Amino acid sequence: MGLVCCGLVPHLELANRSDLHGQPAIIDRGDGHVLAASEEAVIAGVRPGLTLRQAEALCPAVITVPSDAVGASRMADRIAAALYDLAPAVEVRLQGHAWLDLAGVPRAAFAVAETRRRLRAEVGVEPRLGLAPGPFTAALAAGRAKSGRLIRVEDPGRFLAPLPVRELGLNAEQLERLDLLGLHTLGAVAAIGPSQLQSQLGAAGRAAALLARGAEPIPLHPWRPLTVTGARCQLDPPVENREALLFVARGLCGDLAAELGPRAAGAGKVRIRLGVEDSASEVRQSIVRHPLSSATELFGLVSSWLRDWRLAAPVNEVTIELPELETATQRQLRLWTGGDGCAEEVDAALERLQERHGVGVALRARLGLPTSPLPEQRFVLTPA
Amino acid sequence: MQTEKLQRAIGAIHVRFGDQALMRANRLPLVRPWPTGQSGVDRLCGIGGLPCGRISVVQGAPGSGRLSLALALLAQATREFARVVVIDAYGGLDPWTLERLGADLGAVTLVRPQTRMVAGEAAIALARAGASWQLVLGDLPEPALASLESAAARSGCLVIAVGEPIGGAGPKEARNALAFASSLTLELERIRWLKEHGQVVGIRSHVTCIKNKLAAPGVGAAMELRYPRGGRRPSGELRWVVESAEPLTELREEVMTDPWGWSAAG
Repeated sequence: MGLVCCGLVPHLELANRSDLHGQPAIIDRGDGHVLAASEEAVIAGVRPGLTLRQAEALCPAVITVPSDAVGASRMADRIAAALYDLAPAVEVRLQGHAWLDLAGVPRAAFAVAETRRRLRAEVGVEPRLGLAPGPFTAALAAGRAKSGRLIRVEDPGRFLAPLPVRELGLNAEQLERLDLLGLHTLGAVAAIGPSQLQSQLGAAGRAAALLARGAEPIPLHPWRPLTVTGARCQLDPPVENREALLFVARGLCGDLAAELGPRAAGAGKVRIRLGVEDSASEVRQSIVRHPLSSATELFGLVSSWLRDWRLAAPVNEVTIELPELETATQRQLRLWTGGDGCAEEVDAALERLQERHGVGVALRARLGLPTSPLPEQRFVLTPA
Repeated sequence: MQTEKLQRAIGAIHVRFGDQALMRANRLPLVRPWPTGQSGVDRLCGIGGLPCGRISVVQGAPGSGRLSLALALLAQATREFARVVVIDAYGGLDPWTLERLGADLGAVTLVRPQTRMVAGEAAIALARAGASWQLVLGDLPEPALASLESAAARSGCLVIAVGEPIGGAGPKEARNALAFASSLTLELERIRWLKEHGQVVGIRSHVTCIKNKLAAPGVGAAMELRYPRGGRRPSGELRWVVESAEPLTELREEVMTDPWGWSAAG
């Protein structure tokens, strides 16, 4: 049996506008309809899907703001990243649902408490929490919990039975059809077989019947961290001093390492871009054999470029991009043979030396003809 | 107010240069010795081995056995560390010699820089990256030594440099800088050749610890080195003769009572 926790916060477009917290507000979908309404507006009778005029008529003090899908999407990513290490699968939707699949998680209670704390830290409002065998039931439980409280559902069938059919997420026509069939609660829908409801409503009917029974036919779609990241710093006035550029680069590498660490990711490719006034930006990039994840490793590579870079003009922007992120979990930096602290960092340093001074600068020796009188025949040198 | 300013300045230094750039004396890590397996060297170091995170210098006139001693240490290191680095600035190291001393060649990475500047850069980069053991053959540029010292101290890299004695051949500035940067200096002086059936089979040298920042210097010992012979088996051998020259023994006794007075005299 599964165990899913759902944290419910306001629609992310509303949550993203912290200045509107505590006020009646609606998001304009862009076609004259309401996309999301704050809790205060909902109390006044405003519902998503109403026209803006209807919403204003119901709640004259309502504040209407345009939709910002990009901002909301970024917020969803931030929330997912914050919850990422609590469960094997995390899904965040713009409607304000954050699901965590806690099946098999050894300290589920801690994960739930931590979910509450992190959601509060990210969104700025106290979330409502639901814990159930599946995501649909958990979301409904969270919707019925008070702020900062948890409702745990042990028996989904009993919990879902009295709830109205509109919770199934069907469209108006399908809901009307259910009404005509005399199905007003999830319990009534559950009593009908999925195939019978499928004959009436199509595939949505089958899914609705299974949801009403607590069968949870729709799995979570786990969030995956981005595979690309970067950091940028604008320099005003433009900088020509190399030490200053190194200082900026060190800071950017620190920021990137702080981002990579919690994701257990490493950079497989590193690119630095220097924006130069009145000309195209200068770029250098390198593919690294072992993913770099610490600030020291990243700065070691970047600083070696910057020290040799012939700057054509003052630099007004420094960008460090990591276009290929890969997992760094197989790295065991401090677990090599006794005394050897950082084999991969040494390898990376040797690669950088070879990149700058040719492959012949770092060599490995193996025996050739040990008995030869000529020293150069006794061993063979190959690039390290 | 002053305390806050000081804390801000300390914080800024930590952010810019790392935690190890500034720390209280009581939090400084203790120097870890690397037991070399050569009883004579371990005894001369005074702490039971060569100091990790420091630069040690093995110096002496050509033919004194300084390179042989360094290679013997390198051979021992290849058996203990998975990766040892040799900065071969002269490009004259013969890995075959190492093999004769019983080294594991698979653990040796040879860096052959084209210039002294590149040698310095390589030594610093590898020490900073955490290479545990480095042997530097040839002079490093003076500006590189401070960075190498700092990088080694941070990563715990053990650096052994083979150098000329003060007054010997080579750039004087580089020798002085190396002497200044080292925490431990062993100076070798050949006593005599070892001959068998009229052929030279080794040397007998006197090794003196002429500088030691971690224990009392002035200790000496005699070393016998048998050169590797031909054949397939390792045949090189270092044998330490447990004897010290009389004057050194007396000096050592003085060190224990009045180290600064001895240092001035020495």
